[in-house]
Amino acid sequence: MKNIDITHDTSFIESLEEKLDQDGPFSSWDLFKMAYDSELTTITQDFHGLRALEFLPHMNFLPHQIETARQAIEDMNGRAILADEVGLGKTIEAGLIMKEYMIRGLAKKILILVPASLVNQWVKELNEKFYIPAASFRKSYPWDQYDIIVTSIDTAKRSPHREEILNIHYDLILIDEAHKIKNHKTKNYAFVRALKKKYCLLLTATPVQNQLIEIFNLVSILKPGHLGNYESFLEKYGRDRKKINQDVYLKHLVQKVMVRNTRKDTKLDTTKRHIETIWVDFTPEEYEVYNELDKTFQPFSSFSKITFLRELCSSREACYLSLKKFVNDEEHHGREALQPIIDKIGQLPHHAKAQKVVDLVKQIGDEKIIIFTEYRASQLYLQWYLQQHGITSVPFRGGFKRGKKDWMKQLFQDKAQVLIATEAGGEGINLQFCHYMINYDLPWNPMRLEQRIGRIHRYGQENDVYIYNFAIRNTLEEHIMKLLYEKIALFEKVIGHLDDILAELNIESFENEVKSIMNESSSTGEVKIKLDNLAAIIHNANQNTAQEEPRYGN
Amino acid sequence: MVTNLNSFLENYFTAHHCDIISNQNGVLQVQLNEKMDRALMNRPFYWHYMKQMGREGDPMQLSLITNPNAQVDKGEKIHFGSPRLQQILKHLRENERFTRLFQVVNTDQNTALHPWLVINIKISYIGKHKKDEVFSIGLNLINGMMKTEMMDLLKNIELQMQISDFCYTITPIIKPQSGYKRILSVIDQYIQDLDHQWAKESLEELQNEINLLKHFYEGYQDNDLDQMEKELQDLIERYQPKIQLTVINGGLFYLNN
Repeated sequence: MKNIDITHDTSFIESLEEKLDQDGPFSSWDLFKMAYDSELTTITQDFHGLRALEFLPHMNFLPHQIETARQAIEDMNGRAILADEVGLGKTIEAGLIMKEYMIRGLAKKILILVPASLVNQWVKELNEKFYIPAASFRKSYPWDQYDIIVTSIDTAKRSPHREEILNIHYDLILIDEAHKIKNHKTKNYAFVRALKKKYCLLLTATPVQNQLIEIFNLVSILKPGHLGNYESFLEKYGRDRKKINQDVYLKHLVQKVMVRNTRKDTKLDTTKRHIETIWVDFTPEEYEVYNELDKTFQPFSSFSKITFLRELCSSREACYLSLKKFVNDEEHHGREALQPIIDKIGQLPHHAKAQKVVDLVKQIGDEKIIIFTEYRASQLYLQWYLQQHGITSVPFRGGFKRGKKDWMKQLFQDKAQVLIATEAGGEGINLQFCHYMINYDLPWNPMRLEQRIGRIHRYGQENDVYIYNFAIRNTLEEHIMKLLYEKIALFEKVIGHLDDILAELNIESFENEVKSIMNESSSTGEVKIKLDNLAAIIHNANQNTAQEEPRYGN
Repeated sequence: MVTNLNSFLENYFTAHHCDIISNQNGVLQVQLNEKMDRALMNRPFYWHYMKQMGREGDPMQLSLITNPNAQVDKGEKIHFGSPRLQQILKHLRENERFTRLFQVVNTDQNTALHPWLVINIKISYIGKHKKDEVFSIGLNLINGMMKTEMMDLLKNIELQMQISDFCYTITPIIKPQSGYKRILSVIDQYIQDLDHQWAKESLEELQNEINLLKHFYEGYQDNDLDQMEKELQDLIERYQPKIQLTVINGGLFYLNN
């Protein structure tokens, strides 16, 4: 009892006496009583439970989201790593936790650090879903004037913001994509450590990517000493990330500061993915040009030849433009060999895949559809081609300014039937209102395909999701489809862990790996064998990781 | 407790002299007056401009929907979490803190009214977690009699802002200032007598994390100790148990007892 600080309200009675002396103004009985009643309604009667749920009746939280918020508050006392797999609603969990602390009057001053491209989305979600009056940082208002600010870590750590921010006592700090600050030698890491903070939430889907020391660094932001100090940790666990699995004690410690839900244990897969491969045949003219290009060894490296072939599988325009660019470059030779091919590409009829898209869109009928392509030229071509067939569409690119992205998304939702996105547009937009996706061409990194699908198959999706993957027979698309996607059965199992697996195998870029296989093989047979090998290695590693996964389990 | 939001809102606007245009099926339509428009609609420039122009200005109408199933296209849905209700509660909290009221007495004989100091106070227990408790305490400023759950008692009495005919007030013997002290000391005693398990748990957690922190910084250089000191302060801020007493509202009540 003697250790409890008690603060009294000293000003009230003086103010009351003043009013009595001055004969008012006073509240009427009705309003006086109402103020009392409303206070009784808003107080928190219990140390436990989530009051925020009563305040957000319009939200349908999933059981794992509520449980995660409860754990983060009651078991972890407001400092936690939220490490759900992609698409399970980490933002929702964080919003719920934040709201709870605000309702209980424990958090007022809040700083939210997120990647620059996600700032507006965070502001919007917090305001619309949680009625949390968050604002993005603007130069015109000082950091201490506004209570809840969303900004990027790069802005925050720059002078003079840095100094101002470090002077403020924050009640809550939230960091999205926290795996980016896993290295304790970086300025970002030091900055985050230096923040004055009461509660702290770190959001990441991949808490351990390469080395066990990464989890040590993340935990040390929240609870320094929880995993020992730097030297003792290194000595005990070295740099090997597998040890976390062997060491029950360490696993247990990590669970005390981290919640991780997986698709599997949340049973989120109530809406299913239906994935269908759509085989397309080139027209004879197209095959002719394709094979001719494939046989042209001369003027360029086979590395860029693969690129040209991929482009030809996407659209005439994509391939035509890069070949044109290639021959126009003074330094390149072999114009003579290429010019006939370029001319032939110019003569080609409409692309076989584009025609297939129109058929499929008509077959799907009156539903929203998102089409992904790797190339801007194909994006433009598709937009024009769909328009010719009376199908409305809007484009979407990563390079769009935030406002334009929001506008395009809105147009898609309200007006257009189809949204045509390039790869870079994949991250950071959520399109749960749509449940049809056409992968007009496939990325060579399955992780990126998962990100595409994650745009629509995520928390909030109410329908089964239909995915159509296009591939042209007898081209390199067939290899990618058959060997990479179908063989590894990436769709079902591996994708969630692919990041882990690649790190384990020391493969930095999946895409480059595939490219060099294509490049270094002299025959289709060789490509097949090498891709088979790659698939086998991944399959193996996956089994190891699958056994490792329970390390996060709760 | 507010149990019926719709009637709570109707009472609120009525008490502020706004006309209720209609109230059906959980859809309340109110014509605001200037005072309430200024308080709720957040358009100071409009009113500034109107006053500059020497014009009256048109207060807006509000349509508040408490019934989640109501089929209306115009209006705002309102519930305990919505910004509008939070705004109204804040308005109440800030403006309805002080009162002086008289019991309504129908009489033709001289009747004495006793002064009561009524204090509604919130106790917040803040440690790892937080909870609140509310007390409504009345103190008779003549004889020192104290009553708890005073608001419930008052709800059964008719009260108004003017004194009734033939009634007169007795001057307090106990000054409000010292009455307030008496009330606080009773609350202090109450707090003393509680078993503060929550505070013990919080202090244990604090000590536990301080130990971890010290271990973390073993062997560190002096210039890292600033960082450690900062983290120590963060821990204290988060775990040090505190009790906060906040007066919700209060005032002088002249009662006939």
